[in-house]
Amino acid sequence: MAGFRHLICITTTAMALALSSAHSWAQQPEDPGDQPGLVADDSFELDPEWHKQIVYYRTTEPPGTIIISTTERHLYLVQPGGRAIRYGIGVGRDGFQWQGLLNITKKAEWPDWTPPPEMIARQPYLPRFMAGGPGNPLGARAMYLGTTVYRIHGTNQPWTIGTKISSGCFRLVNTDVADLYDRVPVGTKVVVRQKPEL
Amino acid sequence: MMRTFWGGLLIGLAVAVLVAAAAVTYEVYDTRTLKRTVRRGEVLCGVNTGLPGFSIPDDKGNWSGFDVDFCRAVAAAIFDDPSKAKFVPLDANERFKELQSRKVDILSRNSTWSMSREQNYDLYFPAVAYYDGQGFMVPRSRKLESALDLSGSNVCVQDATTNALNLADYFRANNMKYEEVKLNRLEDVVNAYDSGKCDTFTADVSQLYALRLKLSKPNDHDILPDLISKEPLAPVVRQRDDDWMMIVKWTLYAMINAEELGVSSKNIDEALKSKKPDVMRLVGNEGSFGEDLGLSKDWAARIIRRVGNYGEVYERNIGSESALKIPRGMNQLWNAGGIQYAPPIR
Repeated sequence: MAGFRHLICITTTAMALALSSAHSWAQQPEDPGDQPGLVADDSFELDPEWHKQIVYYRTTEPPGTIIISTTERHLYLVQPGGRAIRYGIGVGRDGFQWQGLLNITKKAEWPDWTPPPEMIARQPYLPRFMAGGPGNPLGARAMYLGTTVYRIHGTNQPWTIGTKISSGCFRLVNTDVADLYDRVPVGTKVVVRQKPEL
Repeated sequence: MMRTFWGGLLIGLAVAVLVAAAAVTYEVYDTRTLKRTVRRGEVLCGVNTGLPGFSIPDDKGNWSGFDVDFCRAVAAAIFDDPSKAKFVPLDANERFKELQSRKVDILSRNSTWSMSREQNYDLYFPAVAYYDGQGFMVPRSRKLESALDLSGSNVCVQDATTNALNLADYFRANNMKYEEVKLNRLEDVVNAYDSGKCDTFTADVSQLYALRLKLSKPNDHDILPDLISKEPLAPVVRQRDDDWMMIVKWTLYAMINAEELGVSSKNIDEALKSKKPDVMRLVGNEGSFGEDLGLSKDWAARIIRRVGNYGEVYERNIGSESALKIPRGMNQLWNAGGIQYAPPIR
């Protein structure tokens, strides 16, 4: 079941990319740039903007709440005393962002990945099944959001942090997603905010 | 007949007194900044002589920075042309007098709003452009989360500054022990901290981010989120020129409201077609807000198109797209974790 859900997540990422890059459709086959099997170099250094850090944060949400700002590409874990732990994230592409309130319904360590047939048709080089591990695009941890296809997960491509690349999943570097995972229980409230519509 | 004569004389005298009084008032209080600015064809902006992220000239004399962009926004509102802002570098100790003596139309020079500054120089700070405050930098390896964890630290601070006074007050108020490493020159303070002579270094937060770039390993240091003083930085204008004060104040509020409504330099054309009442009022498709300021209907759309909304100006100069990378913190919008709050345009 876990594998199936992750499969949906990555699939929608691929479909989102395919749709939003319709212009380059003809020349370049739709490819979200997933690199299964790639084990990210530990020495990759995030830009300071995306480092985990404690910041001033004023909110009416209680401590322990996760607030995600897709425009900023930051995830805030609310702390007492007007502060929050801020993590850099990769978010959905324009048109594939969403907002609302959900809860974490399940947590998984080093989740497996089973790419769906459509995805394999487009990206024949993808594995049919991939066990959880350092080369897995879902990274070190996954936190399921409600009954949706959306997750907060890790990545094997740390350089995609700070970008708009997925179809609505939120990715953190593995050390950060593991840090967050240890701080939030199942049931945690997740508020997702995005830019207002004109 | 006599009555008419004396009556006429009285009226004549009264008129003369009024004219004289008006002339004197005009001498003391300038109420024509907008007219003179329009006649001159440019806004004169008093700026810092060189402060990375806020106002700094390049080798060709082109100015950039958060304070500089605010002045360009005022020029865009008036002339639809941000290049109609002329920058006059001013030293800290003469800035308020130079504004008072009309050498500049606006001071946009990282100046802290305080009561005495408004009173002593007959000035007015229309709205807070940037909430700054004194904070602490610490080596990341110390894994500290709060300034209250700093008890027992060696603290580097520049001597004879308000920073040194605030430091003493804060540690005393919280019953924390510390040793001061006081040095006269800021460079020496930075070097002392970088060479490990202190456990922490205190200055205004915007300054700490700029100085962090000068350390041998900037990424090994964090700036704690706690602020121990209030340093609200604001543009400054002369008192009693309400028309001009309104333009400066609402230029800033238009930029903040634009960010809140999701209107930016990238989607301003789309915003001009919006049917949302808030957006329609902002871009000038409803109401007569611009005309009532003595400007054009599309005054705010001009600002957003030519310079950008508050967030764009922030990120470009001092935030994620700049070298400083100061987190939005208190300067985030009120509904996104900060306290930047603009009254509505309606």
